[in-house]
Amino acid sequence: MNHPELRDHYELFALGLADEPEKSEIREHLSRGCEVCMAEIRKAMELAALVGATAPAAAPSPKLRRRILASTGYEPRRIGWLPLAAGVALFSLFAAVYFSGRENQYAQEAANLREQLRRQTIDLTRLNEAFAILAGPETTVTTFGAGPAPPRGKVFVNARQGVLLIASNLPAAPRGRIYEMWVIPKRGNPAPAGLFQSQADGTAMHIQRGPVDVAATGAVAVTLESEGGAAQPTSTPVIVAPLER
Amino acid sequence: MLLLPILLALRVAEGDGDLVVRLQRRDPEALAALYDRYGRLVFSLIVRVVRDAGIAEDLVQETFLRVWNRAQGFEAGKGSIAPWLLAVARNRAIDYLRSAGGRERNALELEETAHPALWSDIEQSLLDSDRIRRVKAAMDKLSPNQRQAIELAYFEGLSQSEMAERMGQPLGTVKTWVRTALRSLRDELGTAVPA
Ligand SMILES: [Zn+2]
Repeated sequence: MNHPELRDHYELFALGLADEPEKSEIREHLSRGCEVCMAEIRKAMELAALVGATAPAAAPSPKLRRRILASTGYEPRRIGWLPLAAGVALFSLFAAVYFSGRENQYAQEAANLREQLRRQTIDLTRLNEAFAILAGPETTVTTFGAGPAPPRGKVFVNARQGVLLIASNLPAAPRGRIYEMWVIPKRGNPAPAGLFQSQADGTAMHIQRGPVDVAATGAVAVTLESEGGAAQPTSTPVIVAPLER
Repeated sequence: MLLLPILLALRVAEGDGDLVVRLQRRDPEALAALYDRYGRLVFSLIVRVVRDAGIAEDLVQETFLRVWNRAQGFEAGKGSIAPWLLAVARNRAIDYLRSAGGRERNALELEETAHPALWSDIEQSLLDSDRIRRVKAAMDKLSPNQRQAIELAYFEGLSQSEMAERMGQPLGTVKTWVRTALRSLRDELGTAVPA
């Protein structure tokens, strides 16, 4: 059987629908490494994968990640996904920015989210800065916090754009105190990376703009300091996020 | 859901090739990263097939363990590992569905480990959010019968004769729907094979 005759059968094959004799014929071509059939089947499998990706989005329970990693004998240190409180709100906002002006169908969505944005008292400039860090091609992501009580969240570091910290479970700083972020080099003293407060719901987003020497950075941390901030940390960090290398 | 595509887009940006190499070295962090990148997509696919979250989670676990144990056989190209992962997931889910329904297990056309080279060159951006939206739009344009046929094949693993029976239609009609649907999807997505 020649290739033009097989032409309409690759996608059927990829979906598990091919009939004989084409099914055996394609199998036979693949097993002798036929380049034409390989290329066609690859395209057909891509189409099949895309069909699979149209399944309505659903989320597994957060425990599943731990279970899967535990079954390989590995004890995970980190949690899998942004804690929902901070994650859903913030990423919705990023999505609104990302899609606004690009897709009519997202206009309403974006309007709703902008309303949410006002309530969150996060202004668009900061959001755009955050998004620049998030969307940077070389951005590294580190998750911190695992138990139910301590602050949890993610740190995004982009060499050109800066550092973005998203946290939840971060209690309001005591009166007269403020959170201070630090970029901690592998050698040398922590560098101050800005002051911030957490929201009433315990979430926080903090951005330190500017270039970062990612390779020389060991961790990003947060301490509680007195209101004007400090030049060096004076208390035990409430967040430590070692950067993955 | 609005969040999934953007998260996928962000996570996919760094490329799967390194991840595969790390999986082959049995680096558990790589499995964690793979799960963070594709866990939801895999779960969404499997739960669509089996329609039970508990069972779906078991099958997601099976899928990732299979990938963990079989990464050696995967060719680490520069491309996306997602289509392979989805093929593993779909095979697991449909196997489950067929055995639970007392139906014979269809011989799989393609064991996902049979031809590693097949999966090595798939572009990293295959499953980016724009693409997924385009394929959703293309699926929406199909006639209800055509769409049902594609979904019965992909998500339920039915053969064309089983579809004919399920839909109460002659086999020839079903075959026509399937072919027409595939042709429109191919055209809409610009993956047309030159004649
Ligand atoms: Zn061939």
